[in-house]
Amino acid sequence: MLRRSIRTQITKRVLVLSTTVAVLLGATLVLLIIAVTGQRDAARIAFASQEALTLTSRLQTSLFAIENDLRDYVRKPTRPLEPVTNRLAAFPVQQRALAAQLSDDRGQRERVREIGAMIKSYAIRANALIIVARTRPKVARNQLFYTDRRDLIAALSASLRNLASRERTIVRRREDDAEAQSAAAIAFGIGGLGLVLIVVVAGTLYLRRAVVRPVVRVARATGRIAAGDLDTRVPADRADEIGELARGFNTMADSLQRGRSELERSNTELQRSNAELEQFASVTSHDLQAPLTTISMYAELLERRHGSETGEGHELIDGIRGATQQARVLIRDLLEYSRAGRGELAVEALHADVVLKQALEALAGAIETAGARVRVGPLPVVLADRTSLCRIFQNLVGNAVKFTRDDPQVSIEAEPDGAMWRFSIRDNGIGMQPEYTQHIFEPFRRLHGEEDYPGTGIGLAVCERIVEQHGGRIWVSSSPGEGSVFSFTMPAAEVRDDELAAAVQTPVGAGS
Amino acid sequence: MRQVVTGFALSLALMVASCGGQQDPGPPQQAGHGPVRIGTKNFTESVILGELYRQALEAKGLKVELQSRVGSTELTNAALRDGSLDLYPEYIGVLLSEVDNIRTRPASPRAAYLLAKSKEESRDFTLLKPARLSNENALAVTRSFARRERVRSIRDLKRLRPAPRLGALPEFANRFEGLVGLDARYGLQLSLKPLEAGRQYAQLDRGRIDVAGVFTTDPQLAGGRYTLLHDPEGVFAKQNVVPLVSKKALKAHGPRLAATLDSVSALLTTPAMQALNKKVEIEKRSPEQVAGEFLSDQGLTGPASG
Repeated sequence: MLRRSIRTQITKRVLVLSTTVAVLLGATLVLLIIAVTGQRDAARIAFASQEALTLTSRLQTSLFAIENDLRDYVRKPTRPLEPVTNRLAAFPVQQRALAAQLSDDRGQRERVREIGAMIKSYAIRANALIIVARTRPKVARNQLFYTDRRDLIAALSASLRNLASRERTIVRRREDDAEAQSAAAIAFGIGGLGLVLIVVVAGTLYLRRAVVRPVVRVARATGRIAAGDLDTRVPADRADEIGELARGFNTMADSLQRGRSELERSNTELQRSNAELEQFASVTSHDLQAPLTTISMYAELLERRHGSETGEGHELIDGIRGATQQARVLIRDLLEYSRAGRGELAVEALHADVVLKQALEALAGAIETAGARVRVGPLPVVLADRTSLCRIFQNLVGNAVKFTRDDPQVSIEAEPDGAMWRFSIRDNGIGMQPEYTQHIFEPFRRLHGEEDYPGTGIGLAVCERIVEQHGGRIWVSSSPGEGSVFSFTMPAAEVRDDELAAAVQTPVGAGS
Repeated sequence: MRQVVTGFALSLALMVASCGGQQDPGPPQQAGHGPVRIGTKNFTESVILGELYRQALEAKGLKVELQSRVGSTELTNAALRDGSLDLYPEYIGVLLSEVDNIRTRPASPRAAYLLAKSKEESRDFTLLKPARLSNENALAVTRSFARRERVRSIRDLKRLRPAPRLGALPEFANRFEGLVGLDARYGLQLSLKPLEAGRQYAQLDRGRIDVAGVFTTDPQLAGGRYTLLHDPEGVFAKQNVVPLVSKKALKAHGPRLAATLDSVSALLTTPAMQALNKKVEIEKRSPEQVAGEFLSDQGLTGPASG
């Protein structure tokens, strides 16, 4: 129930607003149409009245003319009669035309009817006189003594004048009415348009205040959230759709904030336990060195003093010494792993080929023993810690030479990869099952026995730590018998300083 | 828009209305359900008769169109024959002498009526029942003139020197009951001063004329100021009033028309007509009102409306 009312609030207002605008526009349109119609009616009335007035005066002239012609004919029957009969025949037509043009007014209708009756009376008398004039000209001539037709014409003339003057009055009044109506309609129309304008402006302001601004506020808050400011909230006191949006946004921000603080807490916890573990490993391995040295030293003494007497004891001493050596290597690698990725990096622009050369020199013995051929492509300048990069090359090339078969070949190449360079170390060695490629970078992970391929299984884990400390990543693609390609990325030297700084930052924040 | 439509309707209505009568100058023969078109001559008595006819017919529910003062007998008759009128009050003597040119007088009014009626029947018109009212033509002089000149008869006028000055209606000049008959029967050759009906008396009084052509029902004659001259040769005939009607109109409007007019004629006596003429001519009341009162008093219509 509440949701429905919330959802319809702005919609309802917008609907009311647009309906109001539509109604106002419609009313304005109607008023303007009335105005135009009024003007048109006024013009029509004026035109018809002009016609009526013209017809009236024509009728008057015609009446006088016919009487004169009639009298001339009676006096002298040899004169043509056609003008008289033609005019007589034209009377009803003229009267009808006049009636059609007259304004629709009861008095005028009555007047034109009376005029019609008078014209008829005149026509009857004129006709009778014509008949008598034809048969008994003398009698007819004597009848000219009477003035009845002339009196009739005078009365008709007066009636026509009256008709015309009334017509002028009526038409003037109607024109005034039409003008007034049209003026009023125009005024109302303009007022209506003004009202529409006001409503539209008010509506726009309302929408701006009620919809656009709050939405922009939410959008800005979203931007701040995205930038990491999870404390951002928006006002959510409104009861409409916008209020709902704001409340939804705040709820989302709350849950984000809660999630992040939980994440931070567990992260801190994790870092602390990790540091403790590494501290433990470092201390342990360091402290293990001392007893190992002692064991080694006692084994030496034992051999020197009793080496000649016990032939079988000699073998035992060798066993002690071998195991001790193996433990030492293990401890050394453990230390190295725990240190890797923790120390400060001396990042500089390095010619990768120089660093690779250094690494290859260190591996010269192993390469020669294996009889491997190493091919180096053109290598770029990267931003890296010299020792660390050398360590990566050494470990990866060393692995390539170690896990080998007949005719081992190793190639080192680099390609641009965004702001980074991607290095690839390719071998034709034994390769591995694809499912192992995920786990191979975990510490002490070994795929083969110590007797087949010697090593502690720490090298790739160290490489991963170093690469990640430089802001890059490392991965392998391989299949058994096909060889392996180890790839890692390093930041390129030709990047801007700020991007460089960002790129070099390590996940643990050591690069600050 | 509305004005245009009503304007059109109005003009249409007027067109229909005006189509009734004088649409064309020729005879509009349709009587149909149109009004009864009554004409009258151009003197007071005829106008009153027209009003009597009109009001009596209207009281019986007939529609009437009255054309008062159409003109002299000649013109009114022409309008009737022409079809512009359906009927008008006529005088049997004038009808015979001036329309039918019958100069020998029938022996009795009854004979005159039958003769005139047979003439009319022959041309698709007819006469309804005549009234007892008779309004004859006559010559009048002032009483003093008669005494001074010792004039009692028309014949006496012949010896007067200089010849007496005659004032009468203009048509008097062309009629048998006028200069034509006076010349033929009495050898009187007078010059005529045309005057409108009713104007003769003032002219006589002022001495502008010596003899006036008058109607015997003229109210001016009642006071004894004037002497009517005897007519031993019978130039002036009996003049019973009768409605002259077209048969077409009788057929169109049914028996009510004839019956109503007959009932009016039955009321018309010479004294009654003289009284009516007096009310209009002397008392200057309107013929419409006078006729209305008369019909109402005689019980032919409801109470007079005014």
